Amino acid sequence: MTNHHDHGDAPAAVEITDLTKRFGDTVALRDVSLRVRQGEVVVLLGLSGSGKSTLLRHVDALELPTTGSVRVEGTEVHRLHGRRLREVRSRIGFVFQQFELVPALTVLENVLTGSLATLRGPRLGLWSYPRRLRRTALGHLDRVGLLDRAYQRADTLSGGQQQRVAIARALMQDPTVLLADEPVASLDPESSDQVMRLIREIAADRGLTVLCSLHQVDLALSWADRIIGLRHGEVVLDTPTSGLSKAQVMEIYGQVATSTDELTAIEAELQPLLDAAERRS
Amino acid sequence: MTAVATRPGTTHDVEDVARRAPRRRISPERIAAASTLVVLGVLAGAAVVRTDISIPNMIASWSNAEHFFQRVGTVRFPDPVTLLQQTALTVGLVLLGTLLAAVLSVPVAYLAAANTSPGRGWIAAARFVSVLTRAVPDVVLAMVFVLMFTIGTLPGILAIGIHSVGMISKLFADAIEQIDEGPRAAVRAAGGSRSQQFTAGVLPQVLPSWVATVLHRNDINLRGSVILGYVGIVGLGREMSFAFKSLDYSLGIGYAIVIFVLCVLMEVVSSTVRAAMLGVAPAGGGLGARALRARQRRRDQQGARDHQGAPDQRGRADQDGSIDAALRRPWTRTRVRNTVWGWLAVAVVVGSVLVCDIAWGDLATVWAKIPPVAAQFWPPGFGSYGAPVMLDAVFDTVAIALAATLLALVLSIVIGSFAARNVAPGAGVRGGARLLLVVVRGVPETILAVVLIVITGLGAQAGTLALAFGGIGLLGKLVADSLEEVARGPEQALTAAGATRLQRYAGATVPQGFRAMLGHTFYLLDTNIRAATILGIVGGGGVGYYLLNAAQGSNYATVTAIVLMILVTVLVVEGIAMWMRRVFR
Repeated sequence: MTNHHDHGDAPAAVEITDLTKRFGDTVALRDVSLRVRQGEVVVLLGLSGSGKSTLLRHVDALELPTTGSVRVEGTEVHRLHGRRLREVRSRIGFVFQQFELVPALTVLENVLTGSLATLRGPRLGLWSYPRRLRRTALGHLDRVGLLDRAYQRADTLSGGQQQRVAIARALMQDPTVLLADEPVASLDPESSDQVMRLIREIAADRGLTVLCSLHQVDLALSWADRIIGLRHGEVVLDTPTSGLSKAQVMEIYGQVATSTDELTAIEAELQPLLDAAERRS
Repeated sequence: MTAVATRPGTTHDVEDVARRAPRRRISPERIAAASTLVVLGVLAGAAVVRTDISIPNMIASWSNAEHFFQRVGTVRFPDPVTLLQQTALTVGLVLLGTLLAAVLSVPVAYLAAANTSPGRGWIAAARFVSVLTRAVPDVVLAMVFVLMFTIGTLPGILAIGIHSVGMISKLFADAIEQIDEGPRAAVRAAGGSRSQQFTAGVLPQVLPSWVATVLHRNDINLRGSVILGYVGIVGLGREMSFAFKSLDYSLGIGYAIVIFVLCVLMEVVSSTVRAAMLGVAPAGGGLGARALRARQRRRDQQGARDHQGAPDQRGRADQDGSIDAALRRPWTRTRVRNTVWGWLAVAVVVGSVLVCDIAWGDLATVWAKIPPVAAQFWPPGFGSYGAPVMLDAVFDTVAIALAATLLALVLSIVIGSFAARNVAPGAGVRGGARLLLVVVRGVPETILAVVLIVITGLGAQAGTLALAFGGIGLLGKLVADSLEEVARGPEQALTAAGATRLQRYAGATVPQGFRAMLGHTFYLLDTNIRAATILGIVGGGGVGYYLLNAAQGSNYATVTAIVLMILVTVLVVEGIAMWMRRVFR
């Protein structure tokens, strides 16, 4: 049994080595290397387009690296196919920014789709899932506080409720790693709070390794064990949060957020002045 | 691989949760709708049996087919002069019919569109005209007109013209309702009259969609002209029916091939016209549209190279700074092209009028004949056949439609799924399935029916197979499109959870595409009921045969009765479809 709070000795849950990803001519990720220990809660911080989503998607092998490797619990996920890949994916929960529930299905059936990896063959309709799983799914719905909505269509729920259903769906996988891609970016502040609290509680209860992308510094600081900053597909920051003040983080965030283009522009404007000063001297 | 850490289980009391969980309530309406679907499915299954579709029968038909092709021997084509003459006649007649419908449709659409209509009463009246013209098949109109006019093209033109108003005016009105109101409001604000608002604010916005609609309808009408030939409208269809009736199969098949080629050519031409007039890539999935898109891509690449670096000077009227010079619109390449195409279109229409040799005199004399003939249509009656025979024939027609829809649905789900980008296991499979659908759609079902009837003999089997085949072309594509249009996110969520391809298909793709597919299936059933009626005229079984007999024997009361029965059936299907759409939203 692993002690989830002893990060120093725990084996790496996620280990990314020299990961580079190109989409055509654009480089989405450049030489990214990072190690996430089991039970660690890590926030990926960065602006949109900084490569957070792409990085998360590599962990679940939804994207494949151009070069480099991605290991989850020691397995190189990008080399897997078929049944072995699905087995690894089933241990990784993924929470999406847009929830990605099937709108026409009931809340309960949406949660049940999280158990597909343990079942054989296609399923359609509540009756096609074993009773045992239906009970488990109801339990997870209860955990996220939506038991009373079990038989409602997913698209009749508010955004925050839908995200909680998506979390229940991820719980259905009984995951060891939870990936969350901007889980609250589409939610109002109140729902955001609720959802983040839920993820944190569940992570603590189950000792989950969490990789979550965010763009709000406050949330990241109050929430994570560790912050990894991304800019233009590169890791520019990797620091534990303990002992960090908000001011420090804001400064770091400025570092993460400021575009290099801006800096070059300022330098270009300054250059003639500097040249003139040099000539005078 | 390292061992997976022990997973802490749920701490909740499962029994407690199950007790507190809400009871599942399924609304009675949903149960009723689902039951109706099941009943329809069973009926369709029974219909397949009733129409004699079975594997042994198919095998028997196959030996029939071999026999038939031995008898045909070599395919024989008509002599070039006849061929050219008949082709020109067919094309001219169809073009003029469609054009007539387009002209008639403009006022109907203007009155039917909620945003241009002067009042609710007008909307209702215009919609009624649209529904009525759509309900009465062009074949029925043609049968009646043939008896009222001297032999010639006019009955065909009028039949196509009047029947097509139904579909064209509806699509025209839809286009008007979808416009951006801004430009029209601007014309109104500038003091424009109603007609000015229409020409300056509405027309420019709807014209592309209108042109596409008319061209599309023209393709449909060309396919339908085969059947018109069977009721005596001049052209290739009539020549083919003569050939088959005189058992000259090799010539009949020759005509069938000519008509098939003509349909494909017309599709290519209409795609070209669409592209040239509108400067847009054709969106259709037909053979013509595909060829054109490929060509346009090449040309665009070429164009991009040509214009690199050179600033575009065309269209700038103020180059020498003089207003007078600017008054003359410069002859840019676009303008030259548009003008050439415009005059070409005029030439085609004038040519059609000349070829058709319209007996204009009829238009003056026919009015006197209308009241007595019209009076004979009412009240409807079953004539000498009696109600049981007629009802049985209608059931046959419905059975053909149901069986054809079921067969088409089953095959469409298979082929359509493989043709959907997000379902197909690879680009090759998808391309193959799409190509198959295009080829199937390319075969006019009337031609197929005629050939099948000759092969398997008169009866429901041939009609059902022809409709099922045609249905795959239509429904397969619609199924593929509905599956491709679903949101990708939920599919990805299931992939991320470790689901297999098939699980993802059942769990995320199908539930999202279900409603659209249901709607499309009912649409096909609706079309099939109308088509089954018409196929009966060429011997495809069902009530069509009686329709032809009644019209040719001038038993107009029976014609009305049959049309009404079909209309009621279609309305019932449409009602069920609307109900389904509402319940399974």
